[in-house]
Amino acid sequence: MSQRKVPITRLNKFFADEDFDLDISIGQEWLHGDMNFTFVLYRVDRQRTKKDDVYGEVVSEGVQYHAPVELKGYVQIEAPTNAFMGSSRIGQVEPGNLKVGIYQSYLEEMGVDIEFGDYIGYYEKEDRVRYYSVVDDGRITSDNRHTYGGYKPYYRSITASPVTNDEFNGI
Amino acid sequence: MALPKKIKKTLNLVPKKTGYERRVELLEDIQRDGTYLPKGIGHADLDRGMLDFVKNDLKTFMDGKVIPTVDIIITTQNWSQFTETWNFQDLDKNVKPPFVSTVRQPEVPYGTNPSLQYTIPNRKQFYYAKVPTWDGQRKGVDVYKIPQPIPVDITYNVKLFVNRMRSLNEFNKNVLQNFASRQAYTTIKGHYIPIILNNISDESVLDIDRRKYYIQNYEFTMLGFLMDEDEFEVSPGISRTLTMIEVPQLNKARKVNPQPENPNEFPVNLLFVSGNTSLSERFTYTADLILTETSNIDSFSVYINDNYVGDDLTKIQVNTNDLVKFEVVKNSVGESKIETTAKLL
Repeated sequence: MSQRKVPITRLNKFFADEDFDLDISIGQEWLHGDMNFTFVLYRVDRQRTKKDDVYGEVVSEGVQYHAPVELKGYVQIEAPTNAFMGSSRIGQVEPGNLKVGIYQSYLEEMGVDIEFGDYIGYYEKEDRVRYYSVVDDGRITSDNRHTYGGYKPYYRSITASPVTNDEFNGI
Repeated sequence: MALPKKIKKTLNLVPKKTGYERRVELLEDIQRDGTYLPKGIGHADLDRGMLDFVKNDLKTFMDGKVIPTVDIIITTQNWSQFTETWNFQDLDKNVKPPFVSTVRQPEVPYGTNPSLQYTIPNRKQFYYAKVPTWDGQRKGVDVYKIPQPIPVDITYNVKLFVNRMRSLNEFNKNVLQNFASRQAYTTIKGHYIPIILNNISDESVLDIDRRKYYIQNYEFTMLGFLMDEDEFEVSPGISRTLTMIEVPQLNKARKVNPQPENPNEFPVNLLFVSGNTSLSERFTYTADLILTETSNIDSFSVYINDNYVGDDLTKIQVNTNDLVKFEVVKNSVGESKIETTAKLL
């Protein structure tokens, strides 16, 4: 990232940095205060995790994690799909993906980043948690949808697909 | 350091049979715990045999644990596969990798097993065995017959679901070791059934935004055969034969000419060549020997069974198996003769 900062002057006749910050803070107040969707991020410690030399696959019980972090975001879970596993005729209901919209400023404030391969735990009920693996960490936010009216990017869309308990079952 | 190849790592304590003895052993295997007849084989037996083959011969370990197998042929009844996979389901009751599943192609075409091609037509029974019987009075045999088994080719897709490449490698190694000679054998109800590895393909789910796992498909063809026990036939062998002859009452056949009857008397002549003064004769009948004439004989003595009977007898009674000896005193050197007549008693 460039060290040189250039002021953003788009939309400056009716919108400025103060307005952007205000709207973001209002949105956060709604999302964190009113909605209060929380999930737990388990970041894989890629340095300490024991991997296979050839395939880079994790050996059994070999994954190491950073300390889990509880985060807030806008959580959506897609509908499950009913399909055969390949051509095996073994049918299964595959849980839908987890999609999280999260403020970029909030992540910076918490000092964490969500990366491809990290795990997310989301409590559906008090005694039932489902784990997901991040398949799209939403690090590219250049598109219009992720900017505030074209002004500046302000949130990330994370997509995570469900994992089985033998792959990850919390720590 | 690896052992040299010529060193045997294990020794068979029971020597393996070869040749005829091995064939007898195979036959005993087929008949074990049953009758003298081979055990019938149906589609379900072949399917069960394939499942056992996958479960035992293709057993693969991952992280010290056996990769579980779905121990049924997947059919249209979903609840069945659901119950069979209870041991390896996740919290959504989905089957969780790693596991091995066997899918049979529903169609079963006529087989290509070369030993069972069109050789005996029309389901004709052929001889299989003869089994001795005893009904308390007579010995006999039962003849066992069976029709020619029907060859079938059944295609199975054995699918491996795993999360790791190393598991794929291990299973692949197992399969290729078993099928290094293209085919492997499994034993179903005592019958050896060949299985051929046709193809290996990949059906892995590697979509970026879905749960990812490997699926590898191993396509096998079992060169099996069907034998229906209901078609076996046991029938008693022939122990007695009743021959019936029909004789026409109007007999116009040629009469047989009467042959001359056997005589009751016949000559028995004893010739003493030059230099010979003794003759022995074993009689196979009972008769009286009546002396009729002598020539160049001064006197003679008669012995029966080495017992002296008398000299110059005119009538000698001999019984069956008697050994009669004549000793003569000749008048002069040369040929002598005693002529008698045997009268059968």
